[in-house]
Amino acid sequence: MQIGKAKAEIEQLALSGISIELVTQGVQPFALVGGLEAPSPPWDRKLYDILIAIPLAYDLGTALDGFYVALPYNFQNGEHNRVNGQVVSVQNRDWKAVSWHYPDGKPFRFEVDNIESHIVHCRGFFLQRGAVNARA
Amino acid sequence: MPEHNLRMAAADWERLRKHCSPSFRGRRNTEYGAIGLLGKRCVEGATRELIMSEIVWPAAGDILAKPDHALTFSSRYMRRAHMAIRKKGLAGLITFHTHPRADMEVGFSFYDDDQDPLLIENLQDLWPGTLLCSVVLGKNSQQARLWMSPQERVKFVNLITVGNELRYLPLNGRPSLPAPSPSEIFDRALALTGSGALALLGGLTVAVVGASGTGSLICELLARAGCRRILVIDHDVVKLANLNRILYATRKDAELRRPKAEVLKRGIESLGLGCEVVAVVGSILDDNVLRRLNEADIAFGCVDKDYPRMLLCKYAFQYLLPYIDVGAEIGGDKEGIVSTDTRMNCVAPGRWCLRCTGLVTARRLAFESLTTAERNRKIALGYSDDLLLKQPAVMDLNMRAASSGMMTLRHLLQPFLLDPLPVTLAENFVTYNLKPIASARSRKDNCDICRSNPQHGFGDCGEAIGLSAEVAAALHSEDN
Repeated sequence: MQIGKAKAEIEQLALSGISIELVTQGVQPFALVGGLEAPSPPWDRKLYDILIAIPLAYDLGTALDGFYVALPYNFQNGEHNRVNGQVVSVQNRDWKAVSWHYPDGKPFRFEVDNIESHIVHCRGFFLQRGAVNARA
Repeated sequence: MPEHNLRMAAADWERLRKHCSPSFRGRRNTEYGAIGLLGKRCVEGATRELIMSEIVWPAAGDILAKPDHALTFSSRYMRRAHMAIRKKGLAGLITFHTHPRADMEVGFSFYDDDQDPLLIENLQDLWPGTLLCSVVLGKNSQQARLWMSPQERVKFVNLITVGNELRYLPLNGRPSLPAPSPSEIFDRALALTGSGALALLGGLTVAVVGASGTGSLICELLARAGCRRILVIDHDVVKLANLNRILYATRKDAELRRPKAEVLKRGIESLGLGCEVVAVVGSILDDNVLRRLNEADIAFGCVDKDYPRMLLCKYAFQYLLPYIDVGAEIGGDKEGIVSTDTRMNCVAPGRWCLRCTGLVTARRLAFESLTTAERNRKIALGYSDDLLLKQPAVMDLNMRAASSGMMTLRHLLQPFLLDPLPVTLAENFVTYNLKPIASARSRKDNCDICRSNPQHGFGDCGEAIGLSAEVAAALHSEDN
């Protein structure tokens, strides 16, 4: 696997106080990020855990895209229309894929972006941008 | 006794020759030299080639040389180079020095014969297992030897310089000999590939990664050009949908799901041209399969995915192996055919990797390097449809790509192009356009693959490039 860079980034983020660990399902690596802040309401809690799939060729310069949210969750007493993907079981918990992508004109750039910046991108889902998308 | 080759980037060889050139000018007869760091390339555990990873250029006072006296490297210089190989986990040191009076032929002096065993003894006292390669340069020739221990010495055959050309220089202290005449079968190719290059091609092992439409044509072209050993690597089996473009594949092969590599071996060897085909049935993503490239002198990439392309690029710079990537693509919409493209990229030290050329994209590489289960979850989200399109493929277009690749190999062995080999050679048959693209459109001047690769020339002393068999299988499980 070419994920040495991902491992190093995750270690560095953990050292800086972010709740993050590298976990796997079979041979697929994920970054499990804990405690992402969310406004409640509309979300049913203040902190959410997410899962980010790490491509096996991460060190060769891949993009990161989308994430999974831990189940169960509740948004405005119901479901969020972008939490519309498949469910995966990792670390004895169920996670559902969120359709949360980079805009066409502003893709993930492996030269400057990394797991930390992707977490910031994912966090946008729980904030106003995500809520706006849900109403659209 | 085993015989080895020495491999280095053409740019390093040119810099080294330039650095040493004052030795051969004027009448002062002063020796010049430098020290390099060595990686290695092994086949079945035995060293096959030494690779010069980098030159540690001497600083002021590092070389003690007087006219008509033998050159001495300072202990400080030796220590610096030795610390570098220990820190990087490399195989050993290579020393270069000139013999200013050697014009056509050059050989080691008695002084060299006395000093080299002492040097290897000292180096191995400090770090057991260190290898020492010693090279003496004349004006028009060079000789080299490898010291495994103070008592054990191995000859070198060729110095292979890799860059915009692929040159084989003898390391026996004599200038290159005239090449033998080609056999009657191949003499019609003499105008394009002179007898020297033809003899060279006959002695090379060429790896062809991907045994489908383009790969099978490359094998055919190689065999008919006089190549005598081809290593074909492909994990896939013949299917009915392949029969429109894979040479030698039959309906029965598809029914029996015979491996493509084995079908190609059967077909090429049946030609009776004396070309041996070694079929490797496995994924190039698997490190055990990727390491089979250690047997090869040049590689063709005839794959349609970015992940194997990037691993081949990484291999090309870590092992200084020239890699020619070829591909064909038909673009269309509801109205009809929009483009019929073929493309050739040559990847080698001093040239650009496929990420910098813009061929490999971060998004596609990410998608292809997810396990099948995770990729399927991504597909279900509906944002990857463009990455799933089955590429139309026809033999006539594959032929144009294969032809570009083969002509490029001929050029590497015996340059004939008027302008430097372009970064990308692109052809669009719809617009009758053959376009040499001289720039890398996504170039990164600090690219960690092709510009400042921390494992440049490390060979097997560097980290594993491929995946474990288990992980490679997890990526391929949907392909069949």
